[in-house]
Amino acid sequence: MGQYSMVIDLNKCSGCGACALACKTENNTQDRRDGQSFNWADYQHEEKGTFPNIDYVSRPVLCNHCSDAACINVCPETPKAMFKTKNGATLFNEKRCIGCARCQKACPYSKKEVKQGEWSVISMNDEDEKVYPEYRKKKALIKGCTSSGAEVAKKAGVTPPMKTKYTHPDFTAARRAGVIEKCTFCHHRVENGMEPYCVVSCPSGARTFGDATKSSSKVAKLLKKYKASVLKPEEKTVPNVHYIRSFKAKS
Amino acid sequence: MELKRRTFVKLGLAVSAATGLGLPTFNAFAAKKGKSKVKAGQWMATTCQGCTTWCPAEVFVQDGRATKVRGNQLSKQNEGILCPKSHIGLQELYDPDRVKVPMKRTNPKKGRGVDPKFIPISWDEALGTIADKMMELRKAGKPEQFMVNRGRYSYMRDTIYAALPKVFGSPNGISHSAICAEAEKFGSYYTEGYWGYRDYDLDNTKYLLIWGADPLSSNRMIPATIKRFGKVLDNATVAVVDPRMNTSAAKAHEWLPVIPGTDGALAVAVAHTLLTEGLWYKKFVGDFTGGKNLFKKGLKLDEKSFKEVHTNGVIKWWNEELKDKDANWAAKICGISADQIKGVARGMGKAAPNVIVWLGPGACMHVRGAYSAMAIHALNGLVGSTDHKGGPFQYVKQPVAKLPKYSKYQDKLAKKHSKMKKIDQRGFKNLPALKKGKSGGGVVTSNLCQGMLEKNPNEIKVAIGYMNNFVFSSAGTKDWEEAFANLPFFAHITTNASEMTQFADIVLPSTITQFEKLGYVKTKANGYSAVTLIQPVVKPFWDVRMDETEIIFDLSVKLKERGFSNLYDYFTKEFKDPETGKKPKNGVEFTEINLKIQMAPMWDGKKKVGGDTFKSWADFRKKGMWNSDMFKFGKKWGKFKTKTKKFEFYSVTLKKALEGHAKKHKTSVDNIMKVTNYTARGEKCFIPHYEPPYQHGTSEKYPFKFVDYKSKLNREGRSANTSWYQEFKHVDIGDVGWNDVLKLNPVDAKKLGVKDGDNLKIESVTGSYELEAKLWEGIRPGSVTKCYGQGHWAYGNIAAEDYEGAVARGVNNNEIMPADIERLSGSAARNGGFTAVQISKA
Repeated sequence: MGQYSMVIDLNKCSGCGACALACKTENNTQDRRDGQSFNWADYQHEEKGTFPNIDYVSRPVLCNHCSDAACINVCPETPKAMFKTKNGATLFNEKRCIGCARCQKACPYSKKEVKQGEWSVISMNDEDEKVYPEYRKKKALIKGCTSSGAEVAKKAGVTPPMKTKYTHPDFTAARRAGVIEKCTFCHHRVENGMEPYCVVSCPSGARTFGDATKSSSKVAKLLKKYKASVLKPEEKTVPNVHYIRSFKAKS
Repeated sequence: MELKRRTFVKLGLAVSAATGLGLPTFNAFAAKKGKSKVKAGQWMATTCQGCTTWCPAEVFVQDGRATKVRGNQLSKQNEGILCPKSHIGLQELYDPDRVKVPMKRTNPKKGRGVDPKFIPISWDEALGTIADKMMELRKAGKPEQFMVNRGRYSYMRDTIYAALPKVFGSPNGISHSAICAEAEKFGSYYTEGYWGYRDYDLDNTKYLLIWGADPLSSNRMIPATIKRFGKVLDNATVAVVDPRMNTSAAKAHEWLPVIPGTDGALAVAVAHTLLTEGLWYKKFVGDFTGGKNLFKKGLKLDEKSFKEVHTNGVIKWWNEELKDKDANWAAKICGISADQIKGVARGMGKAAPNVIVWLGPGACMHVRGAYSAMAIHALNGLVGSTDHKGGPFQYVKQPVAKLPKYSKYQDKLAKKHSKMKKIDQRGFKNLPALKKGKSGGGVVTSNLCQGMLEKNPNEIKVAIGYMNNFVFSSAGTKDWEEAFANLPFFAHITTNASEMTQFADIVLPSTITQFEKLGYVKTKANGYSAVTLIQPVVKPFWDVRMDETEIIFDLSVKLKERGFSNLYDYFTKEFKDPETGKKPKNGVEFTEINLKIQMAPMWDGKKKVGGDTFKSWADFRKKGMWNSDMFKFGKKWGKFKTKTKKFEFYSVTLKKALEGHAKKHKTSVDNIMKVTNYTARGEKCFIPHYEPPYQHGTSEKYPFKFVDYKSKLNREGRSANTSWYQEFKHVDIGDVGWNDVLKLNPVDAKKLGVKDGDNLKIESVTGSYELEAKLWEGIRPGSVTKCYGQGHWAYGNIAAEDYEGAVARGVNNNEIMPADIERLSGSAARNGGFTAVQISKA
């Protein structure tokens, strides 16, 4: 048993948005609507102090793939729809998921309904709503002159039109109505020898991914070298996304 | 109800219900249980034009669709990585609101909020109509009444921007360039003879002073900067001058929240400190002949007492400007404490010559910004960092071949009229626009609308604009709306029905750069120059054509049919495929031959040009880019392209330029200063100095200064119609997703009784607007700030609140800001607190 982990170096990170946007292109996540953000990767902004002495942190956030995952504990299905892989990633099985959203309620990093500016690890595809509604709209901005969402999707042959196609035994590349979804540590890539897409897309090289139980891994080395922190340690879910160093330079 | 249904599903029907819904993809993988697979696709080389870094990029293509982007893995300029902007390009490509066919206006009335009542037409009719309108001008003997406007471009521009107007007979190719940052180039040109943007050696710098820019968000080397910034924080001191806490400032060791427009005072005081404390770099600047530092506050010096090495006029600079202007003097003006000013100067002096003073538009794009640009860039001279390891530097020239000349195809009328005065009034007495030392040498984009409205030097009757959105992207939008509403005929080449498009008679749908177009750009960063191809990596879904070449070739056919074949003849007789000798028969062939000619030195192997080599044209296209050899430092010292060949603290180069312009108008340099809104007279006109900021609106009536800035996600102002831009707007510090907030300091908010989320009224000399308030510690009291990018009242369903009703989402900063100009460079005014505003609760 290993433990996939991510170490995020805040000294390198500039909070640029590339990881969160790249994730949307890799995992084909939807646009925010109805209290669901569908951002598997996002940012949490923290600001302290007063002008001109401000301590600001832009913190990239994603599923913490907790060792004691509340989302798994509460999943009512047998076998569980939310489960651990042998390498410690927390995945969801779309076939087994019944859309009860208990995981979303139990996860300390998730919210059943997010407001603008808030983030949630787990998002819910309401079973009454069609997915990717923007690519189902038939009305053109200028009749006969501009295209429409539905027309773009039709030409592309897929929804969304920029869908990155991949297959995975547990989840689809673009989810359906009635199931939850969240970051998988890009399991479909990792299994095929590639790093998570947020890691390779980070222009600052702030993200390191690997098996923390292997002392030779880059993540293990970083965790040994720096004092790391996690989000909400008091919840005792043992998160596996670690933050090292500080966003602002130490004078 | 939601709960009920889920409970129902939970009652045992779960699995069968889910599969029973019959989702094909779901069933498909169920069959291949146990193994995940990334579907086949191909990374194809192209270029991201989301900003002017112009990154060599790659697009992942699956089944003929673009799905992901990354940097070109061969690129030394960005080392294979891209910034956040690049990803948003996918949503521009698949934007449901794209114009898919040519359109024609059926409502003759023009104006903001007036429905053009566009209907679809054929390319034949669209181009034929444009050709008819153009031919009317030729027949009237007034081809100068034709104009081409350039917006986002590639180096394929020569066809549309030069050949088209010049062969037709008009001088009026007017670009968007001066709304970018010409004032910045003024700073480096009139000190070291370089009209261009600098590169920076971040790897080796010991002191990074960022001034009026946020290179982590915008400016011209974004990925390379993001990659290195953490290391720079470890290895060097980073200080950032900006009234707003931008991302660089949030991460830096020091933030200098200067009062907008007073950057010149701060720069002058840093220079004063460097000199009085003996911290200048002697190997570059030189030293007192007696060896003792004689710079003492208030003391005038004899020029002979100092022997300069690679610089010119340090004592003149001291005597005329610096001697009395110490840190205490500046502190009162610029709002930065004397201790902090001295601390920065000492840090720079200690690190010299491995110092970068990174000059950005915020410090100089204002009415009196030219001398701030000089003063700030001159600091690179004092610490001897220019063209030195760990400092700012120029670039390696890209070996691009010239296109065949068109002069042979200019008839008498064209030859004469294409030399007439330009509609932006560049070179007029009050518009020196001294690009590269020449009176009227550069474009004055901001003044185009004035020229059009005044019909001076002549009327413009027919215009073609491509990928430009002047009525949105230029300050003083009302003037622009009026100018284009009064333009008799306008054809717009665009991807979306933008604000500019609302004034068009004919609309031509364009391919999207990065994904559908063929062309190239020259770029540089990180010590390497690059030539990078823009390639059609996917086939367009719509009936669109390439803006700069294909459409113009097709237009030349229409002009030929109407009796004017010169342009067509030029394209078909002069352009030959360098490999096969084949001549173009259509716009697509013309585009590739055109590109192939320009790229030949890099792929034909005939001459050694340095950098990457290629086996063939096909090999070059596959790799998609050329990297230069690495830049070599130190070659410019003693050979600067100034009049004295030195780094000029006393600018003989500027003196010649200003005197030339004054002579042209039979007046004095002092008079030119007066008509260009500057306060300096006499010798001070030729040295970097402090000019008190010029402001629209009195401080009594408008007590706040408005600070404009750029988003990390703006793709040359074209990303607002994407949900990803709106959703992640919060990566701009202090901003809120799907919103356009006006940020003010809590101290000011308290005085005004304003709370977070309140509706605010913001008033400038241009009018009154409403915005949501965001209380934010990151803006200095007395200033308010808002990001540029929102406020679209057209463009699409996401960018605009209501396209049909022309209702904007947020407020365009260019409506709040009036049109004004830094006249010496021709640069648009955007910064330096030139827009004063009044804030109250709505």
